[in-house]
Amino acid sequence: MGEWTILLTAAAPGAESGSVEWALFIAQKYAGMFLNATWTTLYVAVSGTMIGFLLGFLVGVINTSQVHPEDFLLKRIFSRILRAIVIVYVEVFRDTPMIVQGMIIYFGLRQSDVEIAPVAAGILVTVLNTGAYMGETVRAGINSVDKGQEEGALAMGMSHIKAMFYVILPQAFRNVIPEMGNTFVNNLKMTSVLNVIGVSELFLIAKTAGGSYYKYYESYLVIAAIYFVLCFVFNRLFGLLEKKLEGKSDYVLATEYLDNE
Amino acid sequence: MSEPIIKVENLRKSFGDHEVLKKIDFEIRKGEVICIIGSSGSGKSTLLRCINHLEKPTSGEILFHNVAVKNTGHSLSEYRAKVGMVFQSFNLFNNMTVFDNCQSGTRKVLHLDKDECKSRAITHLKQVGMAPYIHAKPAQLSGGQKQRVAIARALCMNPEVLLFDEPTSALDPEMVGEVLNVMKKLAGEGLTMIIVTHEMEFARNVSTRTIFMDDGYVVEDDAPGNLFTNPKNPRTREFLKRYMES
Repeated sequence: MGEWTILLTAAAPGAESGSVEWALFIAQKYAGMFLNATWTTLYVAVSGTMIGFLLGFLVGVINTSQVHPEDFLLKRIFSRILRAIVIVYVEVFRDTPMIVQGMIIYFGLRQSDVEIAPVAAGILVTVLNTGAYMGETVRAGINSVDKGQEEGALAMGMSHIKAMFYVILPQAFRNVIPEMGNTFVNNLKMTSVLNVIGVSELFLIAKTAGGSYYKYYESYLVIAAIYFVLCFVFNRLFGLLEKKLEGKSDYVLATEYLDNE
Repeated sequence: MSEPIIKVENLRKSFGDHEVLKKIDFEIRKGEVICIIGSSGSGKSTLLRCINHLEKPTSGEILFHNVAVKNTGHSLSEYRAKVGMVFQSFNLFNNMTVFDNCQSGTRKVLHLDKDECKSRAITHLKQVGMAPYIHAKPAQLSGGQKQRVAIARALCMNPEVLLFDEPTSALDPEMVGEVLNVMKKLAGEGLTMIIVTHEMEFARNVSTRTIFMDDGYVVEDDAPGNLFTNPKNPRTREFLKRYMES
């Protein structure tokens, strides 16, 4: 706790004090803890989501790649196996609650003698969860790009991978940004379930702080406000990103070439 | 006579039970402009798409300088880089400007150096009269402009043959002319082209050979002077008669 919080800290409100006063008191008294927890929440959500997005794009690309009967046998076998793995992974993670996934991964790893810190396990769960959901979103985003775009790329001699990378994914990316925003904000809130494996994010800290004065309602009000501010800010940021990627609506005529018309 | 650049041998293509192409044989030599005409559903577009393997032939071969084109892999990409294609729906890359569209192939496929890519793009955009629009995105252009950019993009690859799949069918009538004029100019410059089209006047005036297709067969393959004025096959006669009436 910083010095300023001590200076601000008044005596505990009396019995006749209202919830707002208690909430403010708790927020001040445990400001340092709340700040640390906010940082942990952001850290887990941001890194988990970012890596999860990459995983999601990989899953989406694998799910939309086609196996041609003309391809080499090894390539065909390899891509079949890869797709089978991806399909099982997506299904399992979409059909189980994140809180249960957290428990299984954390305690499962511990039981098999892998020393993993709660935060690392928390990030891992977020990554795997995001990857599964984003995989489906990216698949839909890729399918929403006009088929002619890939044909145009193939016809000039690009491979499927090059067409994906230079032509299709940049367009699919724009299509899925609103959904990426949703996923990120959802992840910010879903980190709260990670308290069950001991990640000291906001929810766990609220439980601790509330417990010391037996003021749970007020304590959760404090983190509700923090979650709200975080999500509000990130929603706006994603809105800005979406606008920026729309690009300019007009263009500059290259007048130096005008006389050639 | 020079060696054929592309030779189609015994080409057949079926979609399920439906046979769209039935034993097609023809070849194209350097400098030829072949127009393929015929009613909708006669297999013209499918033939063109089979030539660069956007559709996989059910049987038969496409020979490029007497070597059979493989179905997949690196050699197919190399072949496609030498045989350009212009589509009915343009298929310009929506995420790139006109300038980047024209450099996409030279950069990412041919791996030429930056200056060469730029100068080729400018040269060919000037050729089609689209150089002032280098900073525009495809969505900001009219259909005719898009198609001219698509032609410039294909030309940047210095293709040996350029395939046109109904290049004016998606255009408003007043824009058809600008695209046909560009194609006429290219024909005059000696570019080898295969053009699937419904523009009979164009086929008659510009092509060096016209192919009439019906029901998956090449019915007639002749100089336009003969084919349009004195068709040998009754089916060709009937098709042309219907066209002249409309």
